[in-house]
Amino acid sequence: MSMLLEVSGVSVTFDGFRAINNLSINFAPAELRAIIGPNGAGKTTFMDIVTGKTKPDEGRVIWGDRNISLLGMSESQIAMEGIGRKFQKPTVFEAQTVRQNLAMALKNPRGPFVVLMHKKTKLNAARIEAVAEQIGLSDSLTRVAGELSHGQKQWLEIGMLLAQEPRLMLVDEPAAGMTPEEREKTTDILKEAAKTRAVVVVEHDMEFVRRLDCKVTVLHEGSVLAEGSLDHVTSNQTVIDVYLGRAHA
Amino acid sequence: MQRSFLAQNPSVIWFIAILALFNVIVTILSEVSGVGVISTSFIKTLGKTLCLCLVAIAMDVVWGYCGILSLGHFAFFGIGGYAIGMWLMYARTELIVIESLAAQAIPSTAAEISDAIGNQIFGVVGSSEFPLIWTFADSLFLQLLMVILVPGLLALAFGWLAFRSRVTGVYLSILTQAMTLALALYLFQNDSGLRGNNGLSGLQNIPGYRDLPQSTVSIIFFIASAIALGAGYVFFAWIVSGKMGSVIKGIRDNEARVRFLGYHVERYKLFVFTVTAVVAGIAGALYYPQAGIINPGEIAPIASIYLAVWVAIGGRGRLYGAAIGAAFVSLVSSWFTGGGAPNINLGFYTIQWTDWWLVLLGFSFVAVTLFFPKGIGGLFDLLVRKQS
Repeated sequence: MSMLLEVSGVSVTFDGFRAINNLSINFAPAELRAIIGPNGAGKTTFMDIVTGKTKPDEGRVIWGDRNISLLGMSESQIAMEGIGRKFQKPTVFEAQTVRQNLAMALKNPRGPFVVLMHKKTKLNAARIEAVAEQIGLSDSLTRVAGELSHGQKQWLEIGMLLAQEPRLMLVDEPAAGMTPEEREKTTDILKEAAKTRAVVVVEHDMEFVRRLDCKVTVLHEGSVLAEGSLDHVTSNQTVIDVYLGRAHA
Repeated sequence: MQRSFLAQNPSVIWFIAILALFNVIVTILSEVSGVGVISTSFIKTLGKTLCLCLVAIAMDVVWGYCGILSLGHFAFFGIGGYAIGMWLMYARTELIVIESLAAQAIPSTAAEISDAIGNQIFGVVGSSEFPLIWTFADSLFLQLLMVILVPGLLALAFGWLAFRSRVTGVYLSILTQAMTLALALYLFQNDSGLRGNNGLSGLQNIPGYRDLPQSTVSIIFFIASAIALGAGYVFFAWIVSGKMGSVIKGIRDNEARVRFLGYHVERYKLFVFTVTAVVAGIAGALYYPQAGIINPGEIAPIASIYLAVWVAIGGRGRLYGAAIGAAFVSLVSSWFTGGGAPNINLGFYTIQWTDWWLVLLGFSFVAVTLFFPKGIGGLFDLLVRKQS
């Protein structure tokens, strides 16, 4: 099976600190993957590289069926290629309604003049409602996003990602600050999404990762330390030494 | 859920209605209708104020909606004024020159006429040659085109360079200040081709309509300014509502997020910056014929800062707020500095408002920013809330 995203031999240095060190990691077109690792392991930097925010010093990032390189593309071009990103802190447009937030994210042409002449259509409205249904915000479409609870904002941001219809979703700590019930629902949303696309979840919370029930990649000091099922990686002695030992201490 | 543009933007109807009513009242009370309660010079002040409202609305779109604190938009306003001023001055001087040369026995050649016009216009800066930028000055149509093209192209070039390098926030503000300062300093030079610090004058006289009294001219410009303001309001209300409005407000609140949604943020900023610059140019082209004179001092950096102060006091992020702020502050300002406000005698010191107005304005600005961040426009929120 050909890979959706191939990251190979990528390194990046900030002021002499090697944040990513010869990292190689691949994702299949439809899979759920959790990335775990201690602070400073390079999880967020990895996302920054894939989404075009940070340019690596060396290595290759190859995307899609046509095997195009993402390096040298701008953030917006990469997003249009089908890579969506959710930030660690929920970042929705708080001054606007849930519907406006989703409408902005909806996969449609993105040029200024097309957007200026944009007319609301029944089809787009239906698409927005379908996404709202998925994230459980159907009743909140007219609410201002700033009024939503923390958990609802997280879902809205996931919803904005879904509305983009990406082929790869990069999700940074989706469960942070959520109640157990909210976590459960978040798990369901992500699992459902992963049926048709690749979903990569960066998470600290082992309990949440266990619930995702998927392949796990452990990052440490900017490269892959172990990969496999959660039980497989948690029984790995090095992983216990560098990560779990610390987390449980 | 499909609602019309007007239903979504009730302020548009209100704004146009009030503007139209204001127009009718002023025209009735003017000298043209014979009532003459409002003097011609005050009509001009009101007409100029409408132009300031228009540039303030443009400023509100670029700052209040898109989050780009441009402190250079008055440069575009001034360019619009210069562009129309060149035609006004050229065409009027041409008529005067032809008339005076007609008395001569031998008919003058075209070159002689051109020389005489050049002498009249550029005599003050010790020249009689027409600089290259006056090439189209004899054509009203082409100069009107310049009103739109020059501010638009300058904004496009400046914006492209600045936004492409991701210059944002206070750095962009400083850069725009530098732009307007550089332009002002350039125009101050005698060999800039626009008469240095003399600027362009006599703009209140419309070529070919010498017999038209200023009372009529003032009303025509007043109405034209009102129409431009109304059209500008509708245009910008249309831009900031709908999906375009969503995206530019998104850019204001979180630029990076908009980028990761796949929008090319720089193109949107460039669009907003350029469109508002063009409108500022149009506002300037209507303002300076009413002012009668334009000189490089008009586009000094402080002018653009005033523009931001008007919008802040009026309430940014709402179009009518910007218009109210510009009208209120500029009218109050001319009342204070024009000797309208009585001086306050404290016994040991007399507060003369011509000197102290700026201090008062400064304090008002600080007070509004600290205590009423929504500005004067925020009062309407209170009103609406009471009703519901």
